Amino acid sequence: MILLRLISWPYVRKHLLRTMLTTAGIVLGVGVLVGMRTANETVMGAFQHTVDKIAGATQLQISAGDTGFEEDVLERVQSVPGVRTASAVIEAVAATDLPGQGNLMILGVDMTGDRSLREYSFESGDEAVIDDPLVFLAQADSLMVTSEFAARNHLQTNSRVPLRTMEGPKQFTVRGIMKAGGMASAFGGNLAVMDVYAAQKVFGRGRRFDRIDLAVKDGYTVPQVRQAIQKAIGPGFTVEAPTDRGAQFESIVAAHRISINISSVFALLIGMFIIYNSFTIAVTQRRYEIGILRALGAGRGQIRTLFLMESFIEGVIGSAVGLALGMGLARGMMGQIGGLIESLYGLDQPGNGVLSADPWLLGASFAVGVLTSMFAALLPANEASRVNPVTALQKGKAQEISEKETRLRGWAAVIFGAVAAGCLVFGAYRFIFYFGFLLTILGALLLTPTIALGITRLLRPLLSRLRPVEGALAADSLIQAPRRTAATVAALMLSLTMVVGFGGVAGASYHSITKWMEIALNPDLVVATSDNLASRTYRFPASLGEAIRKLDGVRVVQDVSAPRIIFRGKPILLVAIDITSVQQNAPRRPVQGDETTMYREASAGRGIIAAENLAELQHLRLGEVVDLPTPAGVLHLPLVGIVEDYSDQQGTFLIDRTLYKRAWNDDTCSLFRVYTAKGVSPLEVRQKILDRFGGQSKLFVFTNQELRNYILKITDQWFGMSYAQIFVAIFVAILGIVNTLTVSITDRRRELGVLQAVGALRNQIRHTIWMEAVTVGLVGLLMGLGLGAIYLYYMLEVLRRDVAGLRLGYEFPVSIALALFPVILGAALLSALGPAEAAVRGSLVEALEYE
Amino acid sequence: MIELRGVSKQFEGKRKVTALENVDLLVPKGELVSIVGASGSGKSTLLNLIGGLDRPSSGQIFVDGQNLTGISDDDLTRVRRDKIGFIFQFFNLLPTLTCLENVALPLHLRGWTRAKAHERSRELLELVQLGARMEHQPDELSGGERQRVAIARALSIFPPIVLADEPTGNLDSHTGAEILRLIHDLRDRLGATVLVVTHDAKVAESCQRTLTLRDGRIIGDERRG
Repeated sequence: MILLRLISWPYVRKHLLRTMLTTAGIVLGVGVLVGMRTANETVMGAFQHTVDKIAGATQLQISAGDTGFEEDVLERVQSVPGVRTASAVIEAVAATDLPGQGNLMILGVDMTGDRSLREYSFESGDEAVIDDPLVFLAQADSLMVTSEFAARNHLQTNSRVPLRTMEGPKQFTVRGIMKAGGMASAFGGNLAVMDVYAAQKVFGRGRRFDRIDLAVKDGYTVPQVRQAIQKAIGPGFTVEAPTDRGAQFESIVAAHRISINISSVFALLIGMFIIYNSFTIAVTQRRYEIGILRALGAGRGQIRTLFLMESFIEGVIGSAVGLALGMGLARGMMGQIGGLIESLYGLDQPGNGVLSADPWLLGASFAVGVLTSMFAALLPANEASRVNPVTALQKGKAQEISEKETRLRGWAAVIFGAVAAGCLVFGAYRFIFYFGFLLTILGALLLTPTIALGITRLLRPLLSRLRPVEGALAADSLIQAPRRTAATVAALMLSLTMVVGFGGVAGASYHSITKWMEIALNPDLVVATSDNLASRTYRFPASLGEAIRKLDGVRVVQDVSAPRIIFRGKPILLVAIDITSVQQNAPRRPVQGDETTMYREASAGRGIIAAENLAELQHLRLGEVVDLPTPAGVLHLPLVGIVEDYSDQQGTFLIDRTLYKRAWNDDTCSLFRVYTAKGVSPLEVRQKILDRFGGQSKLFVFTNQELRNYILKITDQWFGMSYAQIFVAIFVAILGIVNTLTVSITDRRRELGVLQAVGALRNQIRHTIWMEAVTVGLVGLLMGLGLGAIYLYYMLEVLRRDVAGLRLGYEFPVSIALALFPVILGAALLSALGPAEAAVRGSLVEALEYE
Repeated sequence: MIELRGVSKQFEGKRKVTALENVDLLVPKGELVSIVGASGSGKSTLLNLIGGLDRPSSGQIFVDGQNLTGISDDDLTRVRRDKIGFIFQFFNLLPTLTCLENVALPLHLRGWTRAKAHERSRELLELVQLGARMEHQPDELSGGERQRVAIARALSIFPPIVLADEPTGNLDSHTGAEILRLIHDLRDRLGATVLVVTHDAKVAESCQRTLTLRDGRIIGDERRG
């Protein structure tokens, strides 16, 4: 401890800004880890909490994806022995026209049976109404709201509440006000109950239910009854406990979770990298001090412990601040995650603004922060403990790299490269693939000094030509201190590698999505039930499609049903559309399978088409028979084609609409794709649709451009995180170059002093330092772009294999690479200005006496 | 006290450089020895080897009866810590520490408490006539004063051996003479064996014995009264 006070503390005090920046690495890592996970857990927790509250005494829930099912299923369930009570449910999110109230979660239930599942407690005076459910049922505009919602909107019994329904805006009457607490507290009180049959009509469900909630008779176990129900209604239904819905929801946001995990790991890696970099610099800068300590009898262990203790303290402080930052970030991100989920899946974010801070997460993040800090400092600490007191007391010696070391590094890099190439050949195994990935990065790091020196030697004539004296001095200074040069270059290279990786993935995704939109999203207009295309609350009757088809200027209308169904335990998107019409109007070339066969078989209802990401994630092979659960039983369809499709992150199946109508017994539509006749303005047709149907039905009409903008907006939201990562990586690159150059120039005060003493002009010293900085920046940039090109390949593979199943084309992010030149070279130059001025303006005598 | 048997030291690099070649030497306890020779003759290398800062390529070195050949790095560190005091030409004081803290540093490395280490350091700083400068930092001192702090630090552990590499090389002649008197005085008081590497003939002549090195070999060994 005494060494910490005597040796470390003065250094920290002297380099306070750098210490703070180093600690910022851990603050950033822990902050992002805690922030993202807490925000995610809070949203998930709130969702589960809401599900539990709404479920009441429900022990099992029966559903069939978004499609719902026929009313007769209820009778079949009720007749299963062991079912005490079963009640049909419609669950929908409806917009209210009350100012500032947004959406309301509507629970359509059968009040005659539902009260044994859910407890409805009412404000005094309303009991009479609900005591006779028939009164409630007899009036189709009946609505029960929560006391919280009523208070916010000054509602009383018999007050009117406007709601947007499939039949346009309608007024509902408050027939009961539920007391606060229990079910009424779900969705922050934005919950209303109406009769299930009224809800069918209002939300365009036809004669279908979304779900059945049930309780089990005494003497029966839940698994027993579950098995009996599944047998009675067939495998096309999902029978699960309410708690399992949380798991399903988690599966929906799985891609988001992976993205969060990657970001957290990335943030921690950056933290680790900053600490490693700073400690490496500290060791280089403090070699002399370490040398004195070693000469005075400090053991290797004492030196190692000293540095590890420093990193421990930085880790503790950084983690503590990181936890605070994380909670702040979580608050900010909660809205973003909730909004993202809502915009993608049409689900309201049910959080009430209270963060659920998991003590385990906080404790683990704190520990991870401290351990990351110590782990990052381990190598520099070992390096410090190996400092030779003799060479440490001789300036400059430490910067040389022996021929033996260069040879060893070269051979190790060659071996790593060869093994990494081998890993690619046998990369089908995940471990081997990732091992190869790691070896590639390590190999590049080993070769850094050799390549950096090689490039610098190549640049020397150019630098000499630009400025004969300063250029040669700058190049020689870099060549003569390969260790110092390599440290700066490696730091820069790794950060820029990440920039290229993230930029490349984002670019490839954009390109693929845009290309896909060009082909697949070519209707002139899309008629949807909500301004949020993902919302599945409302459905159109098929008759609306027929009516639109008859409008002047309309050439083709494609009826589309796009329910989410459960396939192999995962919620995926099922797009039911007239396949022949797709072939004629938006033909897509399969990435696997024969185009003609694919369209012929799929349009005849004899086959199914899968999106490429679904095939990748579920390991589906062409020709394989896919078992698709439907309310009428399992549909066995051969996979006749695999196409590029970005409709859903979990994956999409395309089937012919005729087959869908038959198997699901559902002719409602999620949206209509409208192609206008040649020469007719889509805007004109849109106006006709709105004029003709806007009053009777809740519908939104998007032009093709609006649709594309909407999808690009969602893509932007998803890639918002990537851009943040790119900026952080660039920030780290700049931080690294500023840090290392500052140290490098400070270290050479004596050498620069000698140059001045023998007649170098101040400007010559300045220019030498500037050129040196820009050269280091250029070398790091070139190497970063080179390694980034390889890293991008691995990133795209990771994305395909383990994240989204997307096979994105390799595209080097040229524009980002070009933009990096002025940014990095400018940063290098700027970072050299201060130290260069210090070098030329300081006392020459002091510089010559330096250390 | 100090014995070298056939000690050689080569430096591997682009070209192999022999710094010391087959050196035999015996220095009895309490002797004050100066080592002279041209630059590159191997003076500092000899000192580094005796001080355990470096290892010989061949031969054996005994310090206070302990064979340094083949011992672990940790043991070599212990020899330095317990038996050797270093005085360097450029003082090698830690600029961020006060004089008192610089002198106390070797004691802290041996695990002494702060109070005990400071008590010993104060005594030594008084001895080198820097009692009034204890809380000053090195950059607030003159060259001679810095070297006196370095001497106090070297002596803080009461080492049986003191190795001084050009202790007056960075000082004017007047201050150099003062430092030399101090080294003599302390050697007499503490009874340490002292080896001084120097270019200064006056310094060399003031010692009981002078070793002359050329091209890594001892070519002269002169004893006085």
